[in-house]
Amino acid sequence: MKTINAGLCLLLLAGSSAMAETILPYKVHTAVLPNGLKVITIPMESPGLVAYYSVVRTGSRDEVESGKSGFAHFFEHMMFRGTRKNPGPVYDSIVTSIGASANAFTSDDITAYHLNFAVEDLEKVIEVESDRFQNLHYELPAFQTESGAIYGEYRKGVTNPFEVLDERVRDLAFDVHTYKHTTIGFERDIKAMPEAYDYSLGFFKRFYRPENVVILVVGDVKPDAVLKLVRKYYSGWQKGYEPSSVQQEPPQKAERTGTVTYPGKTLPILDMAFKGDAFDPANTDFVAATVFGDLAFGETSDIYKKLYIQEQRVDELQASIPLQRDMPLFEIVARIKKDEDIPLIQDEVLKTVASFQTTPVDAQRLAGVKKRRRYEFLMNLDTPDRVAGRLAYFVAITGGIDAVDAYYTALAKVTPEDVMKAAKKYFVPERRTIVVLKGEAK
Amino acid sequence: MKTYSLIAALVCAAIFSMTIGEASVKTGNAVVVPVKNDPTVCFRIWFKVGSQNDPAGKEGLASITAAMLTHGSTLKNSYEQILEKLYPLAAAYDATVSAEMTVIYGRVHKDNLGEYYPLFLDAMMAPAFSQQDLDRIKSQTLNYLENTLRYSSDEELGKAVLYNAIFAGTPYGHITSGLVSSVKSITLEDVRSFYKIYFTKENLVIGLGGGYNAALLSRLEKDMGKLPAGKPRPVDPPAPAPIRGFRATIVEKDAPATAISMGVPIDILRGSKDWYALAIANSWFGEHRNSSSHLYQVIREARGLNYGDYSYIENFPEAGRRTVPPQNVCRRKQIFEIWIRPVPPEAGHFALRAALREYNHLVENGLTKEQFSLTQKFLKKYLLNYAPTTMARLGYAIDDSFYGIPGSHLAQFRSMVGTLTLADVNRAVKKHLHYGAMEIVVVAKDAKGLHDELVNDLPSPITYRTKKPEAVQSEDREIAVFPVKLAPEDVTVVPVTEIFR
Repeated sequence: MKTINAGLCLLLLAGSSAMAETILPYKVHTAVLPNGLKVITIPMESPGLVAYYSVVRTGSRDEVESGKSGFAHFFEHMMFRGTRKNPGPVYDSIVTSIGASANAFTSDDITAYHLNFAVEDLEKVIEVESDRFQNLHYELPAFQTESGAIYGEYRKGVTNPFEVLDERVRDLAFDVHTYKHTTIGFERDIKAMPEAYDYSLGFFKRFYRPENVVILVVGDVKPDAVLKLVRKYYSGWQKGYEPSSVQQEPPQKAERTGTVTYPGKTLPILDMAFKGDAFDPANTDFVAATVFGDLAFGETSDIYKKLYIQEQRVDELQASIPLQRDMPLFEIVARIKKDEDIPLIQDEVLKTVASFQTTPVDAQRLAGVKKRRRYEFLMNLDTPDRVAGRLAYFVAITGGIDAVDAYYTALAKVTPEDVMKAAKKYFVPERRTIVVLKGEAK
Repeated sequence: MKTYSLIAALVCAAIFSMTIGEASVKTGNAVVVPVKNDPTVCFRIWFKVGSQNDPAGKEGLASITAAMLTHGSTLKNSYEQILEKLYPLAAAYDATVSAEMTVIYGRVHKDNLGEYYPLFLDAMMAPAFSQQDLDRIKSQTLNYLENTLRYSSDEELGKAVLYNAIFAGTPYGHITSGLVSSVKSITLEDVRSFYKIYFTKENLVIGLGGGYNAALLSRLEKDMGKLPAGKPRPVDPPAPAPIRGFRATIVEKDAPATAISMGVPIDILRGSKDWYALAIANSWFGEHRNSSSHLYQVIREARGLNYGDYSYIENFPEAGRRTVPPQNVCRRKQIFEIWIRPVPPEAGHFALRAALREYNHLVENGLTKEQFSLTQKFLKKYLLNYAPTTMARLGYAIDDSFYGIPGSHLAQFRSMVGTLTLADVNRAVKKHLHYGAMEIVVVAKDAKGLHDELVNDLPSPITYRTKKPEAVQSEDREIAVFPVKLAPEDVTVVPVTEIFR
């Protein structure tokens, strides 16, 4: 589950430019190759170190075909299986020999491949990364073996009650949109993965195309040198991106409720999820909602003080307002100490929402949230990897980093009335899905 | 866009040196890592106390005391007031507690230092020790022990049981969170008296890093000097009972997959030439979260049995959440540890054998020239990733102080990687690792079945849903009968509800 913090830090990143035109504190160099591949280079002082991100604007959101949930993540694994020129073990040994820290991640809207390494190895990295993005090649046995690792990843996660809850909430809240399933996917689909070899080849052809990928390079680099190398190695990559036909979720008509049993022992967890809006800096309601979460349910909120610190009825309470490409769920989650308190906590959450719908938030508290966002950003720009990692989500959602500027500007203008309006718009019964998770073991 | 300019100026000044091992300086009772242009200030105050100091029957007290300081009220502010004051600063403070160390740490932007500093200081100097805070912290600890650890992370569960088994009967013999019964028994009076003994001016080392000025260091030294005097009695390093042969604990629970951890004490600590040699061998065998790990290649890459397989020569808590080693978890006694992430239940015995077979091979043969040379290249640069931030480097500087390493461990590590030879590495492997003795912990559903398989050393053939290359199949046949002798008295089955009681 993506939290709001990373996204909002990024917004602040937008708000800290030395130059009025460019909000980012570092100069950004953007270029687009004739085949549509965008390259964003951000030089920063980081003696000798570079972060290199290949951001694919495809995630579990694109898994529109029935039975193929979890495939974007599975495909992320397959990208490490190499090419004819550099088969998996050769790719591994190249990455090992340059001492790079290399990994990848997938979520709803993004699949990102990232390496941190010494600048002297930049050309080698661009060479091997461009090779696998254009010429990925694997045989059926490797494909089937990797599906075992995916199952292993599922198994290590499934013992976490929050993952069990997330799976249930999404499934209940969405009817047609692919946010209905988690990024790891339904277990039944993971089981069937070994049979989907041909589908996987098509997946590569449809999504791993230059128009759908952005290269993000941050650190001790010169933009001209980066661009020259990117041109050299990526120019032959053919266009051919086929966007998924993701069905947008129709408006929900009434509240939905459900339960889920966790096959172990846990305190009960209450998840109240509301259909929100996609990331859009021009949408004041959405921008105001991104601060509502902290104001209403964060650690300085009245409900947090009452339920967590004073009465100690919950041992966790938080709101998550994610920044996403399509309509996400805005969630308020509480882990509750006693089963019998569940209705009371639900009532308290709704009372808090109601008070924000009728009374403007204290201006000083709103200013405190804005200040916090600014310093969160400032304090987290200390390595190329952190800068690139934060930007990657914005790149995936919008295709670039221009929206960051607009978003931060909008955030700075949010008023107490805007917050009230956002509370009224999103946090209403007809957008709501409530799920209670309880443990099986006592 | 005026508002942006100030912030921009600050950010543009955020020049961070990533140079490994940049000088940390020890001045009096302080370890400092000055980074002139860092817009933040980092604090790490090391108190020489940890779970090894927990009184018998009060296991978990060191951890709870630290939480009372960092997540509780002070004489000046209630916990609610502290949260309110810290919130706009985007700053916080917290503690890491391990067997031997408690480190109170925090980081703040220089702009907010004036507001932050008194709060940070009060946390250590003027705790209120309120009953309300204690109730909340105890309840969270109990939830962690009774629910989270027992049910929601079989990997952490396996590691916790492993450490408890190896160090049973020593001051390391319980996890820092303690036991359900001991945590329940902890009172405010216990916390107060523990604090009084260990949080003294003679039992701490100040760590300061980033863009601070000399005046702050003097002030911090002066302020911390106001803690009462007192030199707690040192605890001897633990002497775990030698492990003879293989011993296994099977934690029985309704687990969807089988998690395996194993380990054996080693007689070597960071700082010596042999440690670095062994670290090179360990990096090849099982570098954490890295596909260069040999165990990973054998168990995950070739066979797809799980998500990853790694090995360690130093304690590495919360391994699932980290990509590089943590700081401030130093110990005077370490173990060699193998971590097999959850495998399908039917592959548990096979994966255990596969890991032990590879370990045997490492001990018998050491590394080849090619393996050594590749690992050398890898580590030389990969070590840059161990401490990319000021906070991490300050952590390493404190650790250098713990281990008595003059200069920097990471700088020394990098230099050793360049100078140690294959012969040095293989000699260290022979000297410090031995095959045949290992404490094994398996978290599994069919504990009885696995017990019978282990004590009878039954073959564990593996089947896959898909065909594997002949080389893999042929090796599988050897793994399936690789002898791992365990006598019935060496295999214990424990229901999960009995753990950490």
